[in-house]
Amino acid sequence: MRQQYGRRSQALAGALVIFALAIVIQMTRIQNSPEADTFRQLSQDYAYEWRTFYPNRGEIYDRNGRLLAGEKIIYEVGVDLTIMTDPHAISYAAADALGMDYNQLMEVIQNPPEGISYIVLADYVDAAQANYLQELKKALNEQAPEGSLGGLTGLQFKSHPQRSYPENSLASNILGFVNREGKGYFGVEEKYDSLLAGNPVTVLVPTDPNKAFEIPNAPNGTTLVLSINRDLQAAAEDILDSALGEYGARDGIIAIMDPQSGEMLAIATSRRMDLNEFWNYDVVYDNATEFNPVISKTYEPGSVIKILTMAAALDSGTVTPNTTYLDTGSILIGGVTIQNWDRNPWGVQNMVGCLQHSLNVCMVTISTQMGANTFYNYMDAFGIGHLTGVDLAWEAPGRLKVPGDPDWYPVDLGTNAFGQGVAVTPIQMMAAVSAVANHGRMVIPHVLYAMVRDGRQYQVPEQFGTTPISEQTANTLNEMLAISLEEEGSQALVPGYRIAGKTGTAQIPVDGYYDSTQTNTSFIGWGPVDDPQFMIYVWLERPTTSPWGSETAAPVFAEIAQRTVILLDIPPDSIRQQLVQK
Amino acid sequence: MLTALACGASVGRKSIALAMTKRKIMNIPNVNLPNVNHLIHAYRVAPWRVQRQWIGNALLVVVIFAMVAALYLNVTSRTAIAGREVQDLTDAIAASQQVSSDLQTQLAGLTSAESMEKRAREMGFRPVEPAELEYLVVPGYVARDAVDLSSSAQTQLNALTIPPAYNQSLLDWMDERLVSARRFQ
Repeated sequence: MRQQYGRRSQALAGALVIFALAIVIQMTRIQNSPEADTFRQLSQDYAYEWRTFYPNRGEIYDRNGRLLAGEKIIYEVGVDLTIMTDPHAISYAAADALGMDYNQLMEVIQNPPEGISYIVLADYVDAAQANYLQELKKALNEQAPEGSLGGLTGLQFKSHPQRSYPENSLASNILGFVNREGKGYFGVEEKYDSLLAGNPVTVLVPTDPNKAFEIPNAPNGTTLVLSINRDLQAAAEDILDSALGEYGARDGIIAIMDPQSGEMLAIATSRRMDLNEFWNYDVVYDNATEFNPVISKTYEPGSVIKILTMAAALDSGTVTPNTTYLDTGSILIGGVTIQNWDRNPWGVQNMVGCLQHSLNVCMVTISTQMGANTFYNYMDAFGIGHLTGVDLAWEAPGRLKVPGDPDWYPVDLGTNAFGQGVAVTPIQMMAAVSAVANHGRMVIPHVLYAMVRDGRQYQVPEQFGTTPISEQTANTLNEMLAISLEEEGSQALVPGYRIAGKTGTAQIPVDGYYDSTQTNTSFIGWGPVDDPQFMIYVWLERPTTSPWGSETAAPVFAEIAQRTVILLDIPPDSIRQQLVQK
Repeated sequence: MLTALACGASVGRKSIALAMTKRKIMNIPNVNLPNVNHLIHAYRVAPWRVQRQWIGNALLVVVIFAMVAALYLNVTSRTAIAGREVQDLTDAIAASQQVSSDLQTQLAGLTSAESMEKRAREMGFRPVEPAELEYLVVPGYVARDAVDLSSSAQTQLNALTIPPAYNQSLLDWMDERLVSARRFQ
């Protein structure tokens, strides 16, 4: 009996061992079978999948924390062909909601390329349109008979971020824009493109949950805080738009800067575009220089450059404020006769009168007394003909012809002294003149105030340019310019605030000759004189009501200066001085 | 009777001694000891007993293997679930960030310069004129500076703030316990 049990046990044990061995043999056989490679390949195919990560592009704020550029959610609408039930319903719904062609959609859905299981019908679909389709899909699913699927089964929605500009066209010339591929064009978006980054990244991601730690981390872009004041920018744009209409100018700019730090507070241009519709770029602009003429468009500045000529003359000791000369109304230089703006003689004038009446003959006189070397050395030191280094894309360097250049003639020494025959950008003029307002030291204009990354804000350190003139020269000229405006009774004056500045009127060359009816009018001014907190540059192109800067740009300056002192909380001089005394 | 006693108790010399003691107490007549040893030896080498020992050992190995396999399966499945949760939460974080940015942009659109001016005008406001302004001296007033977007209140999850249970090994835990126990002695 016991032997019987023993044999049965042995038989059972043997059977189990054979079964186990069979499993091992089968496993080994499968591992080495011809199909094993196929299975291994299949497992590898499913082990990883391509996924696109859409990290947020860094936001852009103004100096008071107002969002100027952010992100919004848009959708990619597609069809999963493996679960699609009704191509007609999908085509009809998509055609209706997205404004697409029904027949084209049917063609694409019913005849997909070989091996394709998912088709993108439309991308960059607005949230409202996508929500409409999602609601429709949901409603059809609910109405479908029990056990069957809704007609829009297979219609899929994938959300991803897209750049959005809540202020639409406000400060468009400063911000620039981002195209659908995530590349920045113009302004801050192009200049700081790599910093703002946040570009989509397509990478292989493991589907094995045990390898979750291998999911790549696509960091969001750096957030930028600009020195721009949104409310001041809006006011500048409003005033500029009004001025274009009032003076019949073709184009214009208003730029406002803190002359002590170089922070740009507002840069208004007449041509602006809704950045949310960047594809209209070609409709708004004829060429790239028109996007932000403050930094890109060069022009002959006219009499505003007399500030620099006078600064050079004072600093080099060529003249003092009390130096006098006899103005005969014209002067000969390089074989060419130069006349005053009114072609009249102004008699004996000192240097304040020279600035006050904006006398060309005076400027030619002192530039020739300085000599070409001294004059051009100072112009070079002021940065004329060089990039200012402003942190906006597409800055132009301008052009200053100097002795030795093939196209320089002796008459240029005279014409350059009053702003003709030299090409500058408005930002270049502001940087150069900042030396006068800022005790002789130039600033580097900039729009970036701070950067925010990982919850920390990093201030941009102050940067200063060269010191082309002494502090004494700067202070003297500051006073001379303030007096000249006051004695002239300029329309640029702002009640309650002492302002220094200069008008400019430059004829525009047409077909190689200067046209006296076509002018660029401008005014550059700053205040309060004893503690300058703003510098404003106004440029109107081809005003039709008057060709003179004193009658067009100067009153615009006064208007924007009045808004500036209110928005920047700058009290009138009398109150400010009382506060200082206390 | 001797066989029954030996079968009912654990096997060995101590058991035999115990049986003999019981026998003395119960006044059982003496038995020849060489015969007893022979029986014990026969019992030890019985084939069914050897088989049972083999089966027992084999079952023990199978049970240990099954326990290890079950433990491994349990840990692996929990790890897989945790990994899947990590994947889902990563996606959820990204989606939440996008929604947050979208809402922030919508809010900025509602408070844009253009819409705020329009609403202010509709409510009867107008831009202030310079002559209407009155400046007051406020002791201790500090003029508003540019915005600071630092999120200083934001708590950063780092190695120091993660509870030790999530990054401490068993040996680390035992070591910590030993150290703390010594400290309180």
